[in-house]
Amino acid sequence: MTARLHLLLGAGGVGKTTLAAGYALALASDRARRVGLLGIDPARRLQGALGVPLSDLEASVPSAGTLHAALLQPAESLRRWVAEASPDADARARLLANPFFLALADRLATATDIFAAARVAEWAEQDPELTDLVVDTAPGLNAIEFLRRPSQLAAFLEGRLVGWLRWLSRAERDGPLGGVVRGGARRVVGGLVRIGGTRLLLELAEFLSLVEGVFACMLRRVQATEAWLRDPATQILVVTSVRDDGARMSRELVVALREVGLAPRAVVINRAVPAGFVRELRALGDAPNLPAEGARVIRYAVAYAEMQDRLLDGVKDSARATVVLEAVRGLDADARLSVLEELGRTLNHALSAS
Amino acid sequence: MVPRLPRIVFVLGKGGVGRSTVAAAMATALKRRGERTLVFEWALSEAIAPWYGLAPGGIDPVEVEPGVAVANFRLDDSLRAYFVGHLGLGVFYRHVVNGRAMRRLIEAAPGIAEMMFLGHLCWLTTLAEQEAGLGFDRIVVDAPATGHGGSLLDLPATLASMHATGLLGKEVARVLEMMSDRRWTGALVVTTPEELAVEETLELVPRATKSLGRPLVAAVVNRSAAGLVSEDARPAWLDTYGASLSPPVRAGLEILHADLQSRRRFEGAVPTSLAGATERGVFSLNEQLGIVPEISQRAIVSALAGALAGLCAEAT
Repeated sequence: MTARLHLLLGAGGVGKTTLAAGYALALASDRARRVGLLGIDPARRLQGALGVPLSDLEASVPSAGTLHAALLQPAESLRRWVAEASPDADARARLLANPFFLALADRLATATDIFAAARVAEWAEQDPELTDLVVDTAPGLNAIEFLRRPSQLAAFLEGRLVGWLRWLSRAERDGPLGGVVRGGARRVVGGLVRIGGTRLLLELAEFLSLVEGVFACMLRRVQATEAWLRDPATQILVVTSVRDDGARMSRELVVALREVGLAPRAVVINRAVPAGFVRELRALGDAPNLPAEGARVIRYAVAYAEMQDRLLDGVKDSARATVVLEAVRGLDADARLSVLEELGRTLNHALSAS
Repeated sequence: MVPRLPRIVFVLGKGGVGRSTVAAAMATALKRRGERTLVFEWALSEAIAPWYGLAPGGIDPVEVEPGVAVANFRLDDSLRAYFVGHLGLGVFYRHVVNGRAMRRLIEAAPGIAEMMFLGHLCWLTTLAEQEAGLGFDRIVVDAPATGHGGSLLDLPATLASMHATGLLGKEVARVLEMMSDRRWTGALVVTTPEELAVEETLELVPRATKSLGRPLVAAVVNRSAAGLVSEDARPAWLDTYGASLSPPVRAGLEILHADLQSRRRFEGAVPTSLAGATERGVFSLNEQLGIVPEISQRAIVSALAGALAGLCAEAT
């Protein structure tokens, strides 16, 4: 891959999507670049941040340079991939009616990570001019599944079980179930029958045989994304906001990344207060005649800043760099695109300087 | 009349709104009523036990204080508990379920972990006392964040459409019975009074109501700023006292104040939108930062439990 991948990870509600949008806008302000922004957040936060309607396919975002954005919709991606992989209308119709396929399409929210991984590589494949792809991941620790499951999926798709089941689905047309299963396969197939019954097993076998082409393509793309993640130019940012579980969540993400052989470029502390905050506010809190509301808000603000200090202390050894981004105003105003871009530029400068 | 609180309460909500905190506070409030309560988490790493200075115990309940236990769902533990502990199929588990080929299928297929999670809850509220000496009056489920949490409630219906027989067929039937019984299961939703969280909650509530086929138990607004700031968007003290601050610190204080103000505004929108959608109404929990003298999760949970006493009260 010649393009650079930027991945933002973090707990829900830390401002990942806002930062991803701002960062992509800031990168795109360099006219030499062609930037992509992929949102993997099922809550469609990215659309609100950018103020343009987004779909599963890339749409152009009005900005100084070239920015295209898309919002992952796994069911849409899957339908598109099925159409590409199975030109046979009869097979496609059988697949679309298979209960496993229906259940899968219905429950894609839990497998978002795999679709995201495939979608990331698809984007790079189809846009050879791309210079940067910014990816806003699913919230929380689930985002790690994006990195951990690709190998599990590959293991499954390459596993012997799948081969046996495909064989079974072909053999099933020629004779009764019991007669065709021999040797090592018998124990597993027998186990599956005991767990889910014969009908479920045959439908699973049909499903696996019908999606073979789609899965093979997804697997190839997931592996391409995995390789892209390991490219030294790839930037993984762990984002947290100032909250009590911020340090714990960040450390857990860093540990999980390390387990798969990856290291974050930086931990980003979002919505921070400036240096000297606690000292100045403490002095103000002691001011005579400060109204009760003022005293309450200042106690809150001091506790907030103290939490930020604990957070900084808790993450300082987690990554090569810690970036502190001060809270900004105007993200809810009409001019939010320029505020977003400014926020992204601050992040970009801080990363370059660290 | 308000229906009785269900045996299992799912705590739903977007990531970062404080589901674990609310679940633990609710368990503490129930304990104060004399109930033995279990908080059942589903997290890649446990949140609650460490708040009490305890090592996470996985699927085996750990008592964090008298009357409150916590456990965390792990797929491996639950498969073993189901096949070996419950069904007594040790050989089948070791050679088939735990075999390489089957492990791969289990890890790759979406829905299996969710099914085992619901199955384990079903077991905890039926046979666990007899089979493992685990008896709880109430289980508070710290469900995965919205997106995952929402689809968890849909799972039994999806699985029922898949024609499973065998062990899975039996489990699906039991879980369906559990999820459709209002005395057995119910859900409450947690939100913060912030734009995105409220938006997501307003989408989640009708979806969860439809999946369950009945109204939610309650809605909880966590981190309410109503007790912190007045309705005055630009109070005089902010200008008079702010004038003595350096410009960046002053800007920082103004942003924090504006955030509290905006929470107050969004909180006003919640009860009207959700009033008819819940059995017990909307409960507000105050922002604890700067109020609880020493910020420890344990102290916050204990303080919030008081505010949830009404939610946990049994209808008379």
